[in-house]
Amino acid sequence: MNEMLKQIINRNDTWRGRQRHFQGKSIAANSDCKNSSALSSGHATLDAQLQQGGWPLDGTIELLSDGCGLGAMGLFLPAMKRLSDQGRWQVFIAPPYIPYAPLLAARGIDIQQVLMVHPKNRQERLWATEQALRSTTCSAVFSWLGAQDYSYSELRKLQLAAASGDSLAVLFRPNQAHHNSAPSSLRMQMREYRKVHILKQRGGSQSIDVDLSPAQEEILQPQLWELPAWTASNQSSPAVGA
Amino acid sequence: MSLWLCLRFNQLPLECLSHCEQQPVAVMAGQRIIRINDCAAALGIRQGMSAATVRALADEEPIRLLERDKQAEQRCLQQLCCWAYSITPTLYTWQFDCVQLEIEGCLSLFQGLDTLLAQVTTGISSRGYCAHHGLAPTPKAAWLLSFAPRVTAMAIQQPLEQRLSPLPLSLLEEFAATVNSLRRAGLQTVGDVLALPPASLGRRCGKAFTHFLQQLIGQREDLQADYCPPSSFSDEYWFGYEVKTNNELTPAVQQLLQSFCNFLRNTQLQTNEINWRLIGSDKKLQNICVRSASSNSDWKNWYQLTCLRFEQLHLTNSVEGLVLACPQLQPGQQGSIDLFNPHNQREPLTALLDRLRNRLGLQAVKKLGCRDEHLPEFAMLASNEDPGNEHSTSQHCAQRPFWLMPQPEKLRHHGKHLYWNGVLSMVCGPERIEDNWWQEPVSRDYFIMVDKGGQHYWVFRDRLTQQWYVHGVFA
Repeated sequence: MNEMLKQIINRNDTWRGRQRHFQGKSIAANSDCKNSSALSSGHATLDAQLQQGGWPLDGTIELLSDGCGLGAMGLFLPAMKRLSDQGRWQVFIAPPYIPYAPLLAARGIDIQQVLMVHPKNRQERLWATEQALRSTTCSAVFSWLGAQDYSYSELRKLQLAAASGDSLAVLFRPNQAHHNSAPSSLRMQMREYRKVHILKQRGGSQSIDVDLSPAQEEILQPQLWELPAWTASNQSSPAVGA
Repeated sequence: MSLWLCLRFNQLPLECLSHCEQQPVAVMAGQRIIRINDCAAALGIRQGMSAATVRALADEEPIRLLERDKQAEQRCLQQLCCWAYSITPTLYTWQFDCVQLEIEGCLSLFQGLDTLLAQVTTGISSRGYCAHHGLAPTPKAAWLLSFAPRVTAMAIQQPLEQRLSPLPLSLLEEFAATVNSLRRAGLQTVGDVLALPPASLGRRCGKAFTHFLQQLIGQREDLQADYCPPSSFSDEYWFGYEVKTNNELTPAVQQLLQSFCNFLRNTQLQTNEINWRLIGSDKKLQNICVRSASSNSDWKNWYQLTCLRFEQLHLTNSVEGLVLACPQLQPGQQGSIDLFNPHNQREPLTALLDRLRNRLGLQAVKKLGCRDEHLPEFAMLASNEDPGNEHSTSQHCAQRPFWLMPQPEKLRHHGKHLYWNGVLSMVCGPERIEDNWWQEPVSRDYFIMVDKGGQHYWVFRDRLTQQWYVHGVFA
């Protein structure tokens, strides 16, 4: 019995609960300490909370948000820039809009690597996502799964595909999806602007809010907070409807 | 010193028309039987019989009498040459049913004569042919020896003239008159002729015959134009029954692609487009074009892409035949992935592109490009070709949104407030963009606005129409 239990726990895809249940040095086998393949997110506060010190590359990251995850994309800009050096594809599957190429270029992302895929239906979306994850030619895969429900087995298929490669795999899903369980390595929710809530992560602390404050940003960093401070003095409201 | 292998396809007139073994088949030319299969031979049918005799012998047995088709023979011979090109580059067709291969130069490639001959034998039998072999230092001797018993025909250790001697002169059909007069003089075999002094033989039999004899024993050069592989490829597969489901096409696809890719490898050509033609039972054609972003000659790759296309195929009619054609071939270039790539990339980048495009369609996969334009919607383009990149990074882009809407969307406004999923408030602006005066003048004031949830939008006021629009979303 014990042997069998050990074997199951040793499996990389066995989910173990909260870290505090396991006292002492015995770190869960699935906590991926052996695997330092994480990619720094470029946000110091977030990196500190993530188990591997960055985005895990051996599984999917699920990001739940309102509005198709439009605002959440800024989280991944520093990672995209880092991944540009690899010279592999950065695939956008079913993006709600088109990423603005000049901005990407200005951010140091090689736009020649950006591939946009527009599948026609749910089936094709899953297929394309899995293909991109399985092929070893992608450094990042961003997939907007849309409002539909996905079964656990479908998501697990994507998780296994992501585990087989070493690409950054991000699935954007609506907020409602957090009621259902998912096999992702990391599940996050964008609750507010600049506030990320970690729903779960493999072998790491969970249910924590991470505040991505502008002060802790790396210099020349995202989009999100680089807007100049709007001083009250020059807030001459434009004549709306004038 | 060279070594020639002559493959004489004695049954070619029959084999190019029918591979049937269950039923007697005979091929006729000018009302005379010239070739028969084993079933027909068992009935007592022999070469040279007339059609009437054959019918009498066959009696109740259903026998197929086919008219000889010389064009089909030539086509088959060309296909055999195409295959034999994978063995040696020096080869040509000889008579109407022979292929001459120079194999001295490729013996070390095949690690010896035995393995080479074994490969030749399996190659021929897998194509449904049988051939007589002849092995000699000159092509003409190899051809003559293909008529000899196999022991003599393949015994290259023995002296050539000794092997040639017992062969009858009647094999030399092109010198029928000379051979006839020699026979009247009591000379029956090649050995008899070779024993005569060449000078007197030349006076008696003419120049052409002595040239032939000299070429036969290697005293004179025998130069022939080498076979050139064709510049395009086309091959077909006939099922022999009606195919109704996609899965049944698979074996045919595999076989055609394998022979296609062998052809490509032998000729060192590549292609990035292949055409499948499904021939329906009502003789209607259905064309399917499979493209790949990179030229390649790997059949598994093409098979994968073809399967993706065939998965979406709905067979309206049953299919009788499948044709693989490739009109355009380019000289091969070997692409390779970086051996020392740390990211365990196992296939070239274009492989994913091909898979996605073949399954989802060409339009569904796009790449991004930048243009040096002032208007945001013109400054970028998404196209399925490789877009050019003429962008010079400017600091302007720092104020640009991550997402640009395909069309600016109108904003509702109430009093002093703008609404887009809730009320918007100003963060920064304006930035004026005016351009395109030569065509359709555009003048906009761009602002960055934020909604209650903290989401930033790129909003502009069209100065010409006094309308508010949202154009982009910040990430």
